[in-house]
Amino acid sequence: MKNKTSFVSILFIITLLFFIKKDIEAQSFSSQSYQIQFGNFNVTSGKKSSANYTLTDTVGQNAPGQFNNTGYVLKAGFQYIYDTSNKFSFAIDNLSINFGTLVPNVGSTSTNIITITTPSGKGYEIIAVENRPLSGSNPGVTIPDTTCDSGTCSEAISGLWTSNNTFGFGFNAIGINSSGVATGVGTSNYFTNNNYYRQFANSATNETGQVFMSENKPVKEHSAKITYKALISRSQAADSYENSISFIAVPKY
Amino acid sequence: MASFDLTLSPSQIEFVAKPGATITQAYDVINNSENPLLLNTEVLPWHPIGNEGNVSYQNIISSPNILFSLNNSDIKLGQVFTLAPGQKQQLVLKIETSSQASLDDFYYTFFITQQGQTLDSNKSNNTQTIGKIGSHLLLTVSNSEDVSNKAQITKFTVSPKLKDIFLTPLTFNAEVKNNSNNFFKTKGTITINKNNVKVKELELSDNNVLTHSSRLISCKDQTDCTFDPPFWPGSYTATLTLDPSLSAPSATISFFVFPFSLTAILIVILTIFFILFRIKKRFFPHS
Repeated sequence: MKNKTSFVSILFIITLLFFIKKDIEAQSFSSQSYQIQFGNFNVTSGKKSSANYTLTDTVGQNAPGQFNNTGYVLKAGFQYIYDTSNKFSFAIDNLSINFGTLVPNVGSTSTNIITITTPSGKGYEIIAVENRPLSGSNPGVTIPDTTCDSGTCSEAISGLWTSNNTFGFGFNAIGINSSGVATGVGTSNYFTNNNYYRQFANSATNETGQVFMSENKPVKEHSAKITYKALISRSQAADSYENSISFIAVPKY
Repeated sequence: MASFDLTLSPSQIEFVAKPGATITQAYDVINNSENPLLLNTEVLPWHPIGNEGNVSYQNIISSPNILFSLNNSDIKLGQVFTLAPGQKQQLVLKIETSSQASLDDFYYTFFITQQGQTLDSNKSNNTQTIGKIGSHLLLTVSNSEDVSNKAQITKFTVSPKLKDIFLTPLTFNAEVKNNSNNFFKTKGTITINKNNVKVKELELSDNNVLTHSSRLISCKDQTDCTFDPPFWPGSYTATLTLDPSLSAPSATISFFVFPFSLTAILIVILTIFFILFRIKKRFFPHS
């Protein structure tokens, strides 16, 4: 009798298992190139904030923590994402800088604005380098990089450049606020004011790219106005002069 | 008007790997600009310069024992790809360490570089600007997960050493040197004591100090390490203590707080009273 009851109970449970359908939830991400499936699905996580606080949380994460194993260290747990997945953004608002027709002894300037965001981490540095000086269509014809009024500025040192009898090509960078007002934030260590210029490091002659803007703290949308200046003498050959400038943004480690 | 606006995350990754291990890391690249961007990828080695977290890519030879490739099926490392406006692309970087790799640190940047565009022939005298954004990769190759580090506090100062009870804050500056072969973080505290009683503790930010280089410290929730007024007058000491795992002796400095501003106010009040008293005595001698 007892065996019969047990058999009926087991049969009943098995029947129930067939009828009670429970979906197993997992998380997956995919693109054209790959598909990653996650077996773990946490209860809740994210960033909560009010006027007085910001809270990041993860509830239900399976086995969070740092795991050391053969060959690697794994930091598991979504809270680590806030630690390492800092979005690092860099923008240049205008890629084509046009000087128009260059007039001897009259400085031609053109500007664009660069913007950087490092929400966390240790800050950033922005490096500038040119592929060559402003060069004409004929080989060897260039507008040389400026040495400023004193004749001593270089890719590493800025100098005053206001004289219309000082010829060359160079740039100035001034930190600006969201209204476009000059603040010097990020650039004051490199340019005293907007009359100071320096050369771009010339990669064609193996000059090292130089930092011209940096900060040691996380920033959000910090901008600088870059002013490019070309000034030619009457003896400068008539030509169309061109070059290319790379702005390299990297975080501080 | 073409523009460049790119987001790259994460901005830095740190790994400890055994020789012969393979690691993969996914990066998200987002084109925030309103025009398509022609992009390329590269990995360059660097070394630290200065003590503020700057890097230099000049004259560095990449180790043949650390190999990089992309795990994406449609994009190879060094292959040009296009990112449409608003498009996000995940790039999966594969890092292979050879079994011959030396037990050392290796520092690289994973770069997303904009490809040069054709200059507008209708515009004479122009400069084309190109954007490039990078994410650092700090790789320690070690047979042990628990690498031993040896730190040294090479500088610890406070400014000013003689301070008023009000006005400006005290600023602490310190430099930590890494005398070991693997990077570490500046975990530790600055403890400020008065009469052997703790009045304030500043927690250090976890700045990376790379192998055989130095790094200035900073404090959590502030760029510099500062202690805000008001202060009680007297003699103070500040002790910089690093995490015991860094095997660095602590450093202690002292400073003094004096009530300059209160003394100045008192002197001014007494002077005014004295002048009033003299005036009264001179012009009203019999009152």
